[in-house]
Formats: sequence, C-alpha cells, structure tokens
Amino acid sequence: MGELVIEALGLRKVFRGTARRPGFGGALRSLVAPERVTTVAVDDVSFGVRAGELLALLGPNGAGKSTTIKMLSGVLVPSAGRALVAGHVPHLDRPANARRIGAVFGQRTQLWWDLPALESFAMLRDIFKVEEAAYRLRLDELAGLLELSSFWKQRPRQMSLGQRVRCDLAAALLHDPPIIFLDEPTIGMDAVVKEQVREFIRYQTAERGRTIILTTHDMAEVSRLASRVVLINEGRVVYDGSLADLQKEYGSGWKVRVTFAHGAVPPALPGLVGTAGGEHLFAGTDPAAQRHLLRELLDRDDVEDLQAHGDDLEDVMAAVYRKRAETTR
Amino acid sequence: MTELRQAARIARTSALYEVLQPGRLAGAGAQLGVQIFLTWCLWRALYDAVPASSGLSREQAVSYAVLATLYGRLRGPDRDVAGDTVRQHVWSGSIVYWYLRPVTPRRYHWLRAAGDQAYGLAWAAVTYAVCRALGLIGPPASAGGAALFGLTLLLGQFVLYYLLALVDVACFWTLRNFGVLAIIRLASSLFAGAIVPLWFFPGWFRAISSWLPFESSLHVPLSLYIGRIAPADAGRYLLVQVVWIVLLALALRLAWRRADQQIVVQGG
Ligand SMILES: Nc1ncnc2c1ncn2[C@@H]1O[C@H](COP(=O)(O)OP(=O)(O)O)[C@@H](O)[C@H]1O
Ligand SMILES: [Mg+2]
Repeated sequence: MGELVIEALGLRKVFRGTARRPGFGGALRSLVAPERVTTVAVDDVSFGVRAGELLALLGPNGAGKSTTIKMLSGVLVPSAGRALVAGHVPHLDRPANARRIGAVFGQRTQLWWDLPALESFAMLRDIFKVEEAAYRLRLDELAGLLELSSFWKQRPRQMSLGQRVRCDLAAALLHDPPIIFLDEPTIGMDAVVKEQVREFIRYQTAERGRTIILTTHDMAEVSRLASRVVLINEGRVVYDGSLADLQKEYGSGWKVRVTFAHGAVPPALPGLVGTAGGEHLFAGTDPAAQRHLLRELLDRDDVEDLQAHGDDLEDVMAAVYRKRAETTR
Repeated sequence: MTELRQAARIARTSALYEVLQPGRLAGAGAQLGVQIFLTWCLWRALYDAVPASSGLSREQAVSYAVLATLYGRLRGPDRDVAGDTVRQHVWSGSIVYWYLRPVTPRRYHWLRAAGDQAYGLAWAAVTYAVCRALGLIGPPASAGGAALFGLTLLLGQFVLYYLLALVDVACFWTLRNFGVLAIIRLASSLFAGAIVPLWFFPGWFRAISSWLPFESSLHVPLSLYIGRIAPADAGRYLLVQVVWIVLLALALRLAWRRADQQIVVQGG
C-alpha cells in the first residue's frame, strides 16, 4: 500500500450557537438573554487513508461523518486535533488545498443554479486554470463514463437528482484531483443511476488510483466498493478495519426461512429456532451447517418456499453500535 | 493571462445568465422603458400642477428623476435570482464549495459584484444615450459637473458594493437577514434620492443624509450632473465618499476574515 495521504489526528468539532425559543415571547427572551448551546459534532476521530485506497466512513445519522469530511477537506477549522491532506493542513491554504482535492456533497450542488451545466464546467475550468486541451480530454472521458451529453445543456434546476449529481461528480474531477471526498453521493437515486455512479467511483480508485473517502447508508455500495471501513458513532471511531473482519466479528450468522407444503410434517433438522405461521426459521453461525441444511431441504419435495440469508450488513452495523455502546458505558 | 480569464469568467456570470434567457432580457428592457416613461410623465405633470419649492427647475427635476430610474438598473442584476449570494449558499449549505476552490470566497464575491455592476452600468449607459437622444434627460450642467458626476458615480458604486456585500456576508452569523436587507434596500433608495430627489426633503433630513453612505451612490453624482451642487463644492462630498469607502472596506475585510475562520455549514 502507498503512503498516508489523508490523516485525521484527534479531530474534534464543537458548534456553538443560540437556541431559539418558540413563540413571540420566546423570540424576545432569546434576543435579550440568548440561551447558549454547544454541540459536540465530532468528539475525537483519528484514522488514516493510504494512497489509492477507498475508505467508507459509516455511522448513523448525526454521527459526525459530514463534519469530519468538512474538516478533512479544509472547509471547517477543527476545534481540536489536526487534519492532514497530502502532508498539508487543509484549511491553512485553502486555494492550494483545492487543487489537490475534489468533493461532492450529495444533497447540495456546486453547479450554478441558473446556468447550463456546460457553462458551470467552463467556469470551473477557468477557476482552476485548467489547460483547454486537458479540459477537453477530461470532460470527454467524464461525459462518457457518466453519460452527461444528453442533458448537460440543461440548468441544474431542470435536472433530475441523478443527472445533477452526475454533473457534480464531473465538476469535482475536472481539475484531476488525486483525492476525493464523497458525502452521500448516491442518496435518493434510483437503482440504475446508483449502479452507474458506483461503477464510476470504482473506476476512479481502481483505474485512476485516486484516494477516496465515501460516506453512504447503502451497505450494498459499501461491500461493493470499500475494502476498509471506519465506523463512527457519536463523534468517535468505534471500528476501523476491513469489511470482512467486521462481518466475522459482529456477524449474526446465517438464517434460512422455509415454508413447507400444506399438510407436510416438518422434519427435525438441526438449527431450527422457531416457527411462525407456516414459516420455519433456521439459524446458525457455521457456514458449513447452513450448506448442509440447504442440501437436505433441496432434496425434499414438500418444500414450497425457501430463503437463505447471509449476514445482512445492516444488521452487522446495528450489532456494532449496540456492542460498542455497551462496552463504553 | 489565465488570471484575467478567471476574473472575467466569474464577473460575467450574471450577464450570461440574463443573455441566455432572452425572455428575461426583454422583460428587463421593457420594464425599464415603462418606468422611465412613467417617471418622465409624472414629474412633468407634477411641475405643471405645483410650483416647485425645491430649488430645482423643471428640467433639472425631470433629468434627475429619469436618471434616478436608471439607477435601479445600475445596481446590476439581482444576484438573489441567480441564487448566488452568501445568504442563499449558507442557507442551503452549498457555501462549502466556495471553500473548495482556488479562488477565495472574498475574491469570488467581489468579482461577481464587479461584473454585476459593470453589466448594470452598460445598461444604464445605453439607456442614457437613448434618453438623451429623445430629450428625456438634459445635458450636464457644465463640463466640470460632468467630470465630477463620473468620478462620484464611480466612488458611489464602491460604497454601494461594500454596503451590499457587508449585509450579505453578515449572513454567516445571522442567517436570516431579510429584515436588515429590506431596511438597507429602502434606506439606500430613500437616502440615495432614488425615490424622490433629496432636494424635496426638509433640511434636517438632508443633514442626516449627508453623513450617511447612501446618498453618495446617486444623489451626489446626479446633483453634480444637473448643477444643483456646484463643482467647486464637490470636495466635501468626495471626502465623505472616500471616508465611507475606507471604513466599509475595513469592515468587510474583517467580516470575511471572521467568516473564513468560523464558517458554519447548515445541515449534514
Ligand atoms: N452547523 C452546525 N451547527 C450546529 N450543530 C451542527 C452543525 N452541523 C452539524 N451539527 C450537529 O453535529 C452532529 C453531527 O452532524 P453531521 O456531521 O452532519 O452528522 P452525519 O453526517 O454523520 O449525519 C449532529 O448532531 C448535527 O446536528
Ligand atoms: Mg451527513
């Protein structure tokens, strides 16, 4: 693996603000004696990302993922700790930092709202001072990968979410940054576009060697793209390691659901944990036992329906949060 | 060279936005035409009905009023419509992208405003030429007045820029500045003399106004144009303009520095 290109070293971010009290009287009171509130969005987050690696930053809503990304990308100044991107503290020289990184925050666009996307691209070309020839080549490639040309003359306000985010991905890569931050890029997309974007992200690490930090709630995406995950909860890292290890450590094992034909006598097979309605649930942790059970069931001709589940990543995540919460209390 | 290209590209955004929407462009032109015609009719009728007590002749008053109408255009296209103000970006969270580009937000904001005002100026200049040809606006009172008109108009544009920029940048902290913005808009029209020439207001109002930044964008240049302020007396007005420019520029610089340090982004 390459050298560390992104480092979070004890990052912390505290937001200070004033709470609004409800009603007119409340508004008046808030004006006279504002009630101070502080939110610890990120408590203590440390991890490193190596060149060419794709790291998935996971966690429940409000865990502090976006705030962490904003500190690493140099938008926010950390309250404590340090961010390093390619060896530099990103917020100290934002213009230089901007040339090294690209970013997409899925819920908001960087495109100019009332200009055709192509005009926004040209704007970014000049803002980043990209050579015309290099720009042409890159735009061609990006447009091919993301199929932009059918709608890039439209304004973002006329685009579907999927079209808009694809333009935003292209916009973030026009200056060819080696490091990319993607904060929920696929949120709200339909399956087809999601798949296209995933393939695009995979291509950017695998073929282009870019270093990527990705946040998402889509576990299929994680297992498809990331070899390493960092889980954060309440502003702290609760897991940092490979996806496979995570599943091994916290996996809840396999499940098999079977419905037998009406009137059939269900056999006494190992692993039966319960019966609800006409459905029998088998579960276990040893994959060999699952294979054995499936073979047995497939040989029978009174099995009407059969569903086998592996480890559901969603369940794994939930298990991690539960266990970590128990051990830290 | 690329520096210049970058600046020009950012500056022309609003103009491009309007030019790409011919309907909007035509609408803006038609609106301006109607406004000018109505203003012209109104002030002529007013002077025919009531003998003036402002010390302005009919020609002076009509020229002033029509020029003041051009001022609406001079402020440039409304960046609110294009969704590219600090307020809108802070509100939606897309302000993050301003900090992910090799152009500082301060420079970007300034270039956008400069472009907007230059575009507005082009509009105003063309309309001025048309109005002069049609006789809706009289010639400048004197060559000296014309030169000082140009100078004070330019300085007034800086004052205007700093005022509007400060209110916009304040959104990093206030988020909702509709109230402040509305007050400033009204004040900068009223005290600028865009609604009614300041010469028609009582003395105490003019005294207050003469120390505020607003009148330097419009009232002062127009008064020099029509000859209501003599070129020899322009020094005091120029001084007030320059003092305001320095003060507001410092305030804006300070505001940006604070914003860059403690930028807050809404939402996850
Ligand atoms: N600008 C802000 N002001 C106050 N609190 C904030 C701000 N931004 C985020 N937070 C709070 O910080 C916590 C973490 O937010 P965020 O990083 O957006 O989480 P995630 O992206 O993991 O959902 C949340 O409780 C959120 O409400
Ligand atoms: Mg988030």
